[in-house]
Amino acid sequence: MRHRLIMLLAVTVLMTLVAFGQAAAAGSEAKAAPTIAKAWTQPKTPWGDPDLQGTWTSDDCIGAPMNRQASFGDREYYTEQELAQTEQRIERQQQNDLVETIAPDARVTTGPPGHWGERARRPCRQTSLVVDPPNGRTPDLTADARRRPIPEGAGNNNPKADSWEDFSYYIRCISRGVTGSIFPVIYGNGQQIVQGPGYVTILQEMVHEARVIPLNGRPHASPNVRSYMGDARGHWEGNTLVVETTNFLANKTGIGLNGGGTPTSDALRLVERYTRTSPDEIHYEVTIDDPKTFVKPFRVAFPITQEPGYRNFEYACHEGNYAMFDSLSGARAQEKKAAAAKAAGRN
Amino acid sequence: MRKTFAFVIAAAMLPAAAWAHHAFAAEFDADKPVKFKGTVKKMEWINPHAWIRIDVKGEGGQSTEWMIEAAAPNALLRRGWTKQSLLPGTEILVEGYQAKDGANRANGSVITFTDGKKLFVGSSAGDPGAAPGTTFKDK
Repeated sequence: MRHRLIMLLAVTVLMTLVAFGQAAAAGSEAKAAPTIAKAWTQPKTPWGDPDLQGTWTSDDCIGAPMNRQASFGDREYYTEQELAQTEQRIERQQQNDLVETIAPDARVTTGPPGHWGERARRPCRQTSLVVDPPNGRTPDLTADARRRPIPEGAGNNNPKADSWEDFSYYIRCISRGVTGSIFPVIYGNGQQIVQGPGYVTILQEMVHEARVIPLNGRPHASPNVRSYMGDARGHWEGNTLVVETTNFLANKTGIGLNGGGTPTSDALRLVERYTRTSPDEIHYEVTIDDPKTFVKPFRVAFPITQEPGYRNFEYACHEGNYAMFDSLSGARAQEKKAAAAKAAGRN
Repeated sequence: MRKTFAFVIAAAMLPAAAWAHHAFAAEFDADKPVKFKGTVKKMEWINPHAWIRIDVKGEGGQSTEWMIEAAAPNALLRRGWTKQSLLPGTEILVEGYQAKDGANRANGSVITFTDGKKLFVGSSAGDPGAAPGTTFKDK
């Protein structure tokens, strides 16, 4: 039964993607990358640094695919016509969210209700989060990386659960890594930027990260000092905050959503660029360079925005992580059931 | 399987299931559907997901406590929920699946109040900036 459900889900997703791809074939392409708003001057902190402070969210690109659908080719942006369709879909969703009764044919599944997540407020203009290479797709893995095991859990409906160590660091409430902590997912996309002379700190709601980034030009820590979130150093290039992060632990999180996918190596080097383009928007981009994992560097970019009333909340992830308990005890119960069935077959 | 549980038919997995904090299908058993009415004892606003503790009355009148997994608390807050949204004593109808280990825990795939209204409706009573009523035209 489970296989049929997974097949049905796969077919549904595929049909949606195909339909979107066909719609994408028509119309003119939307304007290119965000530009600095006219009649707006980048504010400065009292000590003269560009002021990026505030709480920002990547919500608008919730649901944007990491890798571009092949039918879009090298097309980075949706057409104005396609964006208008997405705008209508968001409006319909907002109206539907306010409907007080559940549809009579609401589906009962082992999953959560479909209306649990947070919502994009406006269409994401990009056809993929990966913007370079031009085909919008993550470069191939190296031969070594292809042999690397991927921790299970999120999104895997039949995870191996011999131990808590089989689960991803996200499921274990430890970390989603640097990119996983800002890439847009269904909820918890808050990024609070706080600045002081010589430092920028980024507080990330999920999973409760605080990145303290020195700006004073000091060298990276010794290569012997390594962590999930790496060792970050920042500097300003004009009004752009550039953050270079190295000294990562190997084999922890990947570059996928929520830190999923093939775990990166100890050679990972990230260069992030935060450019405020208007009072309410920062253009974020990150170049991922890990020669032990990907055959070439690549770049991911998307906007993060300030929204009225939006703020970070506490995310004490492990305080009630019953799901971990249930997943492990569920796997043990299934093993017991299978062993009993096998024993009964022998008798 | 308790007699009080009516069987329900599973349909396709929602894509959202693949995006939640964890794999729900690892936790809940597609062969153990549950459907019952319960009285809210307590809403636990805990991470990574909130849980609703309810009392379910069996055929003999005895009460059994069940825990129903709910959304991430921060998402609930942003969708307009408050501490007053689900008070103790409220009756709710739950449809979902029981935990694989047989414990009295279930996902709440479909939860409604007894008048048929859905539980997780976005409310305008919440944060006006983050509530779903906010449109991109506001910017």
